[in-house]
Amino acid sequence: MLKEIINLTLLQHTIRTATPLILAALGGLLTQHAGILNIGMEGMILLGAFFGVVGSYFFGSSLAGTLLAVAVGIVVGLLFAYFVIDLKSDEFIIGIAINMLAGGLTIFLLRSIFGVKGAFSSPDIVPLPRFSVGFLEGIPLLDTLFNNHTVFVYVSWLLVALIYVYLYKTPHGIWLRAAGEFPDALETAGVSPRKMKYISSILCGVFCGFAGVHLSLGYLTLFTENMSANRGFIAMAAIIFGGAHPVKTFIAALMFGFFDALGIRLQVVGIPSQFTQMIPYLGTIVVLFIVAKNLLRKKKKAIEGESYNE
Amino acid sequence: MKKKNIEYLISLFLSIFAALVIGAFIMWANGRNPIVGFAALIKGAIGSKYNIATTLAKTVPLILTGLATSISFRSGIFNIGGEGQLYLGAFGAALVGISLVNLPGLVGIPLALLVSAIAGGLYALLPAILKVRYNIDEVIVTIMLNTVAVLLTGYLVNYPFASDVGKLGATEVIGEGYQLSRLVRLSTLNTSIFYVIVITIIMYYLLERTSIGYEIKMIGQNPDFSRYGGINVKRRMIFAMVVSGVLCGIAGAFEVLGVHYRFLQHISPGYAWDGMLIALIVKNNPLGVVLMSLFFGALKTGSISMENATGIPSELIAVIQSIIILFIAGEAGFKSKIKGFFARKDGRKKVGEKNA
Repeated sequence: MLKEIINLTLLQHTIRTATPLILAALGGLLTQHAGILNIGMEGMILLGAFFGVVGSYFFGSSLAGTLLAVAVGIVVGLLFAYFVIDLKSDEFIIGIAINMLAGGLTIFLLRSIFGVKGAFSSPDIVPLPRFSVGFLEGIPLLDTLFNNHTVFVYVSWLLVALIYVYLYKTPHGIWLRAAGEFPDALETAGVSPRKMKYISSILCGVFCGFAGVHLSLGYLTLFTENMSANRGFIAMAAIIFGGAHPVKTFIAALMFGFFDALGIRLQVVGIPSQFTQMIPYLGTIVVLFIVAKNLLRKKKKAIEGESYNE
Repeated sequence: MKKKNIEYLISLFLSIFAALVIGAFIMWANGRNPIVGFAALIKGAIGSKYNIATTLAKTVPLILTGLATSISFRSGIFNIGGEGQLYLGAFGAALVGISLVNLPGLVGIPLALLVSAIAGGLYALLPAILKVRYNIDEVIVTIMLNTVAVLLTGYLVNYPFASDVGKLGATEVIGEGYQLSRLVRLSTLNTSIFYVIVITIIMYYLLERTSIGYEIKMIGQNPDFSRYGGINVKRRMIFAMVVSGVLCGIAGAFEVLGVHYRFLQHISPGYAWDGMLIALIVKNNPLGVVLMSLFFGALKTGSISMENATGIPSELIAVIQSIIILFIAGEAGFKSKIKGFFARKDGRKKVGEKNA
């Protein structure tokens, strides 16, 4: 039984299921650094998944699907940014509104464009091509694990490195972080925090678009209602887990992907999967608790230290 | 009425109107006649006794979750976990209803409501404590707890409490004593509406007429000031959050006791989210919650008839609702933008006059 659950397929599935989480989390951590909590990622992924299918179906190419999803991601990112930054609306209200809008709009369009309820699949939807790293072929273990994935699997890994370098090694990345932490200082330095926030929000929309396309044009080529299935929230959990650090967030997303894949394997053999599915959510609360407790302890120590010095 | 309130009402109506216009435009873009669509919508919402009853039935969970949001948001602690509290409350009520089957309704219904209130309240207590003691963001915690509750009840209803008739994702039917009677033939409107009226009056009184309600409002507007004023901010925040959870739990109970007569795995299509949006739109005013819930309930009910009559998918309503919330959330920003625009125009004119 254990062999049926924990095997190479499980790890391969982990890589697949973690990819949309990684992509969305990378987008979300950019806005997080710029000082915006984006809970609209859920809706952004859903829109990406839908418009990926639309583009692929009507233009007969997965690239067109991806481009359309990215375009929609940019629009939604701009919308989010406009409301939160320029109109100073509450970020979480706008996030919820975007999630609702995405849920309603995708179902509405699913029915008015394709005339179906629930799910749409068609042989005319062109899936994303599978990629393989040449030199890994023929190496048994690595071949099954790391080959034959969609391009976004590799893109997501590349993005982890790129975003790390961007955030911590380039002036632009430092501006982005300053936009969240010290907006006034950034302003004084002649860089507009507003611009940096806009950039982070648009990039978040784009990455969530990628995540959606990976879902709907990746291993299964179809769109189903509410296909994002809480992935936006799990991505947020990964960001919190990883302290918004790209590498740590990546590891957290991989871990959550593993539990997701494990849940699916457990279901196959008839073991309730609900508890493994809970892990990302409960884990996030535990992490928040530990962080908060440490913070309190430090504060206490600081206060005690002060009175000692006096 | 204060000038601010009138200004708000104007922007509220403008927002709704603008969202409906966008809805009309979407219908038109879909090749449908918007006038026919809206006529079918109105007829479907209030066209007959059955339609009115269905609208009222849809309003029940919206009012409860809307009031739940009002009290928590007013106190500045954001309960986004209504959906999870609703699921636990619903399961709690069902659990009573399937284990003490023969209890008469007079005892059984209050007991089931009590259990669901406790379940919802406790589930809200946890994030409240994490917030006031450890300063942990309650928005994130309650979002995470939502899914945990849905998964937990999903497990319970598929394994230990699964109905004997195969895997339906449902419990057995609750005892007859627990089943709230239906008021209008074929519609799911049931006696829970009377409970909701009582609860609404209590909540209105609590929020608008008691010192607790006043303190809650103060805390939401200015916690530091409230603290200096001698209000126990932490205790009031916990109170607001627990009451919020209790109301969501009861909303879940009524879905079980009045509508489905059993717990279902996906018992709520997002009532708590709708309720939250309603409260946000009316700025947490309890009477506003009732009116807006009726409006949203009517939209939901009417949209089904609209779909049947004209083929316009009923989800259009969800789109319209979210556009309303976007406009309302952007209200203050839009206003200052418009004012700024006119000020600039005015200024330019004055400059022009000088030059002339």
